[in-house]
Amino acid sequence: MKKRLGIISFFVIIFIAFIIVWNYSYEQGLEDAYIPMIEKPKGSFIPSESVVFKRFNSDKVDYANMPIDENYQRMLVNYYTNRAYPGAPPSIPHPIKNERSVGGNTCNKCHENGGFVEKFDTYAPVTPHAEKSNCRQCHVTKNTRETFKAFAFDKKQAPKVGKGTNNALLGSPPMIPHQLQLRENCIACHAGPSAPKEIRVSHPQRTNCRQCHLPKNNRSTQQIDASKFIRKFDDLNER
Amino acid sequence: MVIKSYLAHAVKGKKQELLEALNKLNQCQVTSAENEDIIVLVTDTSDDNEDEILKEKIESILSLKMLSLVSGFNTSTLK
Amino acid sequence: MYKSISGRRDFIRKMAMLSAMTAAATMFPGILFAKEQEDGIPKDANLDWKKGPCRFCGVGCGILVGTENGKAVAVKGDPNSSVNRGLLCVKGYHQIMCIQSKDRLQHALVKKNGRYVKTPMHEALDIVANKMKGTIKEHGKDAVAMFTSGQSTIPEGYIASKLMKGAIGTNNLDCNARLCMASAVTGFLTTFGADEPMGCYEDIDHADYFITWGNNMAEMHPVLFSRMLEQKSRRGAKIIDFATRTTRSSTASDKSILFEPQTDLAVANAICYEIIKNGWVNKSFVKKHCNFSKGLTNMGYGLEDNYKFKDIPEKINFDEYKEFLKDYSPEKVSKYSKVSVKDIKYLAAIYGNPNTKVVSYWCMGMNQHTRGTWMNNLVYNIHLLTGKISQPGNGPFSLTGQPSACGTAREVGTFTHKLPHGVVMNKKDREMAAKIWKVPYDRIPAKPTYHATEMFRAVDRGEIKFIWTQATNPMVSLPKTGRYRPAMQKESCFVVVSDVFPTPTSDVADVILPAAWHIEKSGMYGNSERRTQHWDKMVEAPGEATEDAWMFIEVARRMGYGDLFPYCKENHVEEIYNEYRKFHAGKKHNMAPLEVLKKQSGAIWPYVNGKSTQWRFNAKYDPACTNGESFHFYGKKDGKAVIWQRPFEEAPEKPDQEYPFWLNTGRVIEHWHTGSMTRRIPVLHQAVPNAYVEFHPDDAKKLGVRNGEKIKVTSRRGSCTLPASINERGLPTKGQVFVPFFDENMLINDVTLDAFCPISKEPDYKKCAVKVEKA
Repeated sequence: MKKRLGIISFFVIIFIAFIIVWNYSYEQGLEDAYIPMIEKPKGSFIPSESVVFKRFNSDKVDYANMPIDENYQRMLVNYYTNRAYPGAPPSIPHPIKNERSVGGNTCNKCHENGGFVEKFDTYAPVTPHAEKSNCRQCHVTKNTRETFKAFAFDKKQAPKVGKGTNNALLGSPPMIPHQLQLRENCIACHAGPSAPKEIRVSHPQRTNCRQCHLPKNNRSTQQIDASKFIRKFDDLNER
Repeated sequence: MVIKSYLAHAVKGKKQELLEALNKLNQCQVTSAENEDIIVLVTDTSDDNEDEILKEKIESILSLKMLSLVSGFNTSTLK
Repeated sequence: MYKSISGRRDFIRKMAMLSAMTAAATMFPGILFAKEQEDGIPKDANLDWKKGPCRFCGVGCGILVGTENGKAVAVKGDPNSSVNRGLLCVKGYHQIMCIQSKDRLQHALVKKNGRYVKTPMHEALDIVANKMKGTIKEHGKDAVAMFTSGQSTIPEGYIASKLMKGAIGTNNLDCNARLCMASAVTGFLTTFGADEPMGCYEDIDHADYFITWGNNMAEMHPVLFSRMLEQKSRRGAKIIDFATRTTRSSTASDKSILFEPQTDLAVANAICYEIIKNGWVNKSFVKKHCNFSKGLTNMGYGLEDNYKFKDIPEKINFDEYKEFLKDYSPEKVSKYSKVSVKDIKYLAAIYGNPNTKVVSYWCMGMNQHTRGTWMNNLVYNIHLLTGKISQPGNGPFSLTGQPSACGTAREVGTFTHKLPHGVVMNKKDREMAAKIWKVPYDRIPAKPTYHATEMFRAVDRGEIKFIWTQATNPMVSLPKTGRYRPAMQKESCFVVVSDVFPTPTSDVADVILPAAWHIEKSGMYGNSERRTQHWDKMVEAPGEATEDAWMFIEVARRMGYGDLFPYCKENHVEEIYNEYRKFHAGKKHNMAPLEVLKKQSGAIWPYVNGKSTQWRFNAKYDPACTNGESFHFYGKKDGKAVIWQRPFEEAPEKPDQEYPFWLNTGRVIEHWHTGSMTRRIPVLHQAVPNAYVEFHPDDAKKLGVRNGEKIKVTSRRGSCTLPASINERGLPTKGQVFVPFFDENMLINDVTLDAFCPISKEPDYKKCAVKVEKA
């Protein structure tokens, strides 16, 4: 009898001990293993601020020591003949390699960093938005010179450039006469051998362009009544 | 009158000191380069003697590494 | 056609210069002589160029203003200034446009029967002087007060100090630098015993790492940031951005580390913990040059009126300090600061590596903080433990916000407790001031009275019956303006406002005095790196607008203190400066004589034997070091700096169920402070026409807010309606919103909290709890 009682109480003690230990480890396990960290911004964030700084630290292009090739330099006139109106995406003036591709690396091979292209005997212009890979969405080729029917599209005048045209004061840094959207990376068009001669800057290594240069016609979207608003909510901030 | 132009090379990191020292000398006109340790110096003295004296003063500046003459005009030998 | 040069000599000199430049260009391609700015000006413009410092931020760039026919028409950077080397920022380039504004104050205005009546200047000054005299007679000396500015020139600050403390005999003088740099000052005084940074801007040319603590240098100190970017591309220096939100600076930096507001205290302690744990402490430096101390904790936040606090320091030793830091291991700190352990160790490794030169930069993120003094102490701790201080490219650098918060507010001492040399509490300092000012010794009161926030609380309680503000706009820039605006409108207080433009502060004034703007008067400013810069008057002020210093002198004379202010109008700036210099004579603080300031672009003090002392406390560069060791922190009696044990304490108001967002306020590059000048510059106004509230896109999506929609931001004190801005200029973290404070029509300071650091009395504009809803 006593033996049986002893064995039962022994097992009861073990059982109680088991419950205590189990509960203790359960409580310990409930402690937060996950430490909340502030999420680093991902994707394309504050593009009007961040894209300005791209390309300056690239070892493929050295803006501080960029040579100027007088024979092959572009003029603003050539720049605008490709565009339907100032600010329009330029059409592709050369035959393309792969008709079926969206663009991406095929185009970026030459247009991400520019450089002299033997085949077309010219410098490739650098794109200010190399991260957008669906190039053929906006840029199309020119396959004929004729028009379907006669048209009367009035081509808008390009903004003037030159000393004194865009400065607020005598000698102050010229203001930006064009929209910033898709053109946040100033250095892509304003320095380098493919930069049109008239807008080439004298100080390409200075990096922080927006410190001195402000947009000229900055129609703020913030005063507009949101119900009549046109621009859709920005979906570029993907998780 | 003797007018000479030099390129003054500053000891590494001492460009500011060199600039201040040269500014103190009356017969010197200085233009500093923005992105290198070089200063363009134009000296303007009335005769050879003064020029010698000024050159010695400049060469005694501690923050000067090297002074290279670029061009010189000496009108006292003309006329 | 070339510009006509006088004579053959000039021509030959010009040829010589050009040939030297060409020679240099062949040897060093890409060399720049800042000539391209001259190209932008038409060759026949006969502009007269005069030098001076910029009117805006604490960088203190040298500018050249071009005047033509008595009008300022152009600005360019001064290529001879070692601060900016010919470069400016967008505010600097266009600053002279503000004085062309049509609503510029040109005449004195006195409020009669609720309307402002144009009054001739001498009459207005009579009214001010009589009112001041009458108030003193009826209610005593401490019923009158003056609130000046970190943008006042050195002569203006000096005259204000002499008038209030020397002539009238009251310590009711404080300035808006209390709202921006007070924590930096008390940080310096508690750690080193002497105010102002020990390094200079040349550090940028030598450092390997730049660590910015809660400041957006690309927009706030843009010219210095450009210098840092230049070093980044030339020498591979790295910029680490440690902040609470993603800004332009974050995108340009090599690494951006985000932290939960207020936890910078904990992260700094965690870095110290890592430095000690990994044996990166510079043992000989700490043993020879540092003491350890701790102060009181749980000090409160100054929210109550008449809040008083005095810290009681207690000496401790290294082991006690090490024991205290055990609570701040990176693993423990990471839990509430939301910074990953890896990032904390990364920062610690940068500081701990004896072969890297590190410069820490900070401004308002650390100073406008309810534990701002502690935060400054903690960053100094990091640099003192590793011995990275007072060497070229190695050291902490407290950036100043305003152009002369150093030169005027801190060096002249326009604070309630300060004198041009020393403090009012110290007998010797009072004796020195009495001697130089030629006033009886017992006139200077020994007890400080009101700091900025308390001064306006005193106006509210009716204790101050006369207040004179100069070159500042407290009705937009004070925290919790909802209390202080009706306070200033009360009948019990007579308000005199000296300003260039009408502002919300002049809207509550009884007398408005028209002031001359920057280039319409001569003066001196002192910038962040202890550089004093002088400028001469360049154009005439319109109408009856007068220099502020002269208006103070005129009122002082009318009050009967003419013999203390015997300056003549044409030369008063020079006379005042020469008198002021006497206070700082000596190797530790000597100011350069005016001739030196006129000839070159400023001089750094201490100016000893014709040389500026660039790195203080380091015997190699500082002639004031006398103890024979390589470092002498002569601000403290035993020549040693203090490493302070400072814990982490929570913010006074944190987000909760009812008010779930953190509110952070600050600036943008285009606008200066309350915008009274920059909004009147068309170029800058059109770039950023109104304030906005920044959201994280996820928060916006949850609330259903779109870009540009009107949002109401409410706190326990007030509310403000602003349009939303999503993913444009800055990106706050989730649960945080940011509002720039330059817009007087969208007064975000109605929403902020007037809690302050108990030691420095500087309010915290960066943290309070708000709720947001569609308006």
